[in-house]
Amino acid sequence: MKQLLIKKVILLLMLSSWVGEVLGDYESTYQAKAHKSFIIENAVIDVGEGQGPFLGWIAVSEGRIQALGSSNESKPEVAERLDASGLWLTPGIIDVHSHLGDYPSPSYRAHSDGNEATSPVTAEVWAEHSVWPQDPQFPLALAGGVTALQILPGSANLFGGRSVVLKNVWSRTVQGMKFPGAPYGLKMACGENPKRVYGSKSQSPATRMGNFAGYRKAWIDAQEYQKKWQRYERSLNEYVAWESTKSGSDYKTRPSPPKRNLQMETLVGVLEGEILVHNHCYRADEMAQIIDLSQEFNYQVTAFHHAVEAYKIGDLLAVNNVCAAMWADWWQFKLESFDGVKSNVPMVHAAGACAIVHSDSATGIQRLNQEAAKALAAGQRLGLSLSDSDALTWLTRNAAKALGILDQTGTLATGKMADLVLWSHPPMSVYARAQMVFIDGVKQFDREKGIGPVTDFELGQREEIF
Amino acid sequence: MKNFVLMLVFVWGSSLALGDVLIKDARLVKDNGETGDVRDLHIKDGRIVEIGVNLKGTEETVIFDAMERAVTAGLIDSATTIGLAEVSGLGVSYDGEVSGDDMAAGFQVALALNPASTLIPLASNDGITRGIVVPEPGDSNFAGQSASVRFVQGRNFLQREDNGLHLYLRERDRRYAGGSRARALSLAVDALEEAGRFDRQREAFDSNELRPFAIGLDDLETLLRVRSGAMPLVVHVDRAADIRNVVDAFTAFPDLRLILAGAAEAWKVTERLLAHDIPVLINGLDNLPQNFDRLGARLDQAYLLSSAGVRFALMSGSPYSEFRSLTQAAGVAVANGLAWEQALLAITAVPAEIWGLEGLGKIDRGAKADLVIWSGDPLEVSSAPIAVMVDGEWVNLETRQDRLAKRYLEVLNLETKD
Repeated sequence: MKQLLIKKVILLLMLSSWVGEVLGDYESTYQAKAHKSFIIENAVIDVGEGQGPFLGWIAVSEGRIQALGSSNESKPEVAERLDASGLWLTPGIIDVHSHLGDYPSPSYRAHSDGNEATSPVTAEVWAEHSVWPQDPQFPLALAGGVTALQILPGSANLFGGRSVVLKNVWSRTVQGMKFPGAPYGLKMACGENPKRVYGSKSQSPATRMGNFAGYRKAWIDAQEYQKKWQRYERSLNEYVAWESTKSGSDYKTRPSPPKRNLQMETLVGVLEGEILVHNHCYRADEMAQIIDLSQEFNYQVTAFHHAVEAYKIGDLLAVNNVCAAMWADWWQFKLESFDGVKSNVPMVHAAGACAIVHSDSATGIQRLNQEAAKALAAGQRLGLSLSDSDALTWLTRNAAKALGILDQTGTLATGKMADLVLWSHPPMSVYARAQMVFIDGVKQFDREKGIGPVTDFELGQREEIF
Repeated sequence: MKNFVLMLVFVWGSSLALGDVLIKDARLVKDNGETGDVRDLHIKDGRIVEIGVNLKGTEETVIFDAMERAVTAGLIDSATTIGLAEVSGLGVSYDGEVSGDDMAAGFQVALALNPASTLIPLASNDGITRGIVVPEPGDSNFAGQSASVRFVQGRNFLQREDNGLHLYLRERDRRYAGGSRARALSLAVDALEEAGRFDRQREAFDSNELRPFAIGLDDLETLLRVRSGAMPLVVHVDRAADIRNVVDAFTAFPDLRLILAGAAEAWKVTERLLAHDIPVLINGLDNLPQNFDRLGARLDQAYLLSSAGVRFALMSGSPYSEFRSLTQAAGVAVANGLAWEQALLAITAVPAEIWGLEGLGKIDRGAKADLVIWSGDPLEVSSAPIAVMVDGEWVNLETRQDRLAKRYLEVLNLETKD
């Protein structure tokens, strides 16, 4: 394994123009357990495309969705059948903003590893190195139907570090939870938090203009670093070409690579489009300026997180293809959240932008369906034309899109991972509880049968509690 | 919808002057959010004067047609900061805690309250008509006294300034007592005993024949009122062992009225709570084992307490939002086993009884007319009040947030059904 990695690294150094892709990416060891084919029948199915539910079936094979259809369509012959009469079936819920594992319960400083608040630019840190896989909050989220989640560094810094996308499965290691093939994210933060943290230490940034100077300076450094590697790669290519023929009169020496810079590797990863930007930002005016910043340095903001004022600039988000990941109703806890409205999510949706409901909370993550329902109802009260199915996309399809995993999960479609939730009631009801949760076709949670992971932490002191 | 809003404005304006309202066809939901008897409610001078079928008012009566929608008593939130801060995270604008005192029993949040707060209509929009504004500890386990308020902007917001004395004995509160919960509890008991000594020697104290007490005079008077049961002692505590100790320590004062708040592990000590009929205020959504005191935190605590016969109320208690509704906590409790009617009671009649709010929390002849007319099942997250009455008067439901949303519907030219 290690040798393989080293080989990959060498290969990459020789061939790729980008050095951040594999270096330090401790590979996912997640593998769904071997399991049989099965079919879930008679469920009210919402595939997560916003088109409304139908009564039907879904066949799972090798952890993937083999086929699905309505009740009057013919099904594949499968021995194992699960009668889901009276239950609702949706894709697994995906939370794009979580700190499970890096801010675990119990929440003592000894375990609180979410904010490397020592410098405004810490793009070099990776959230996966902080995640404690035995955090008892993971199974609580699973009981809420969450099958995948992005763990982010905190928002103390302008550049907080890399995120990691996890499957919500019990594992001894973080590597055993890593979503195979999911791209990394970079956490950035606007507004009050960075300027408060560093301003209180009498260092920059102490203001919002200081924040922007910090972003721009770091991106300029990243561009320089990118060029340095590009120059190296060009001369390496010239050397390799020369070495194979040894033609020409000039004797060439093998160029030595520039020294690696972890911080710059992550930022260059963004410039190369390999790492997705997840930007904590509350105010509309700041989001608009961040979009301009991204154009100045030619990168894409994938999603604004929290985005309490996204409803003011839904059109701008739509045009620039930026998602907004929002709470249903958090507001007022800081000045930059004072203009929060309950109809934020539906107004962003109605403006044609990609709307997501996120949690940023170990309690909220257990009830993301209810959060979406609250936002939906607020939008309907405002007169917007929205359905339960629209609201489901805020938790599934749009979330998967923002994490770069929509080709793998996030909707129910043939060939996708069988990440499924069976609900006791319509999923937008407060009475709805996840009855069963499947991840890659493996039943990870079954409320009736009392099946679900128990973390090491809970053993002997909290086992009886879902 | 527009017509309906206009009608409401009309009704609101009229009823202010007349105070005589007939709510026709109110569905008094009981066993679930959708079924229940349909009755007319006649409201006069802030009270429900009659409940019946086909009631007729006088010429002065303003009629409101509830169209068989669910109607409940106004909800009561046992833990809010509305009125203490417009923006809770702005420390400089928050008046809910005092530092520098190792005894803050005499501190009352009431004088700090802002009856013009823009947050008040938000409570109305969650169907909440009454609240307990609770102090947080600054440097003392005794944090001060909560106020009870009614959620009407501007007029008679404050109802009672000495609603309850709050004592914090959670894991992190040990620091106010030098670092040990053992000392925190014994200092609290000592303070109550000191108040008793003060009371017995008032004359000597007044004539300067007594050494000064370690505790300030207003603190002593407050503690005396707690000892006599004039005001309840609300102890914020989580761990089962601590709950036992708290119950043992304070039930030694025969007239003291003890209420537990938070109480993550109360379900483990229901026998002790039942034996002394001690009510509990719980946060229905907080099931995280955030510290070793809360290892037993669970989502079905309401169901477990109800099954054991312990009196409990649900409180919102979210640090992040005054939006987060009480009804969501009640609905989640139902999803986790609690009977629907018990859930409704836990946010209406039971908190009214625990806090001694006379005439509130129920729809009865003679009760105060705090009423909510709901768009659907009151405990469903998609439901919302379409009209709210406090003391017989319709309250304003339009919030600053509504104004913002409407402004940006126009700015972005978003299409609505209207």
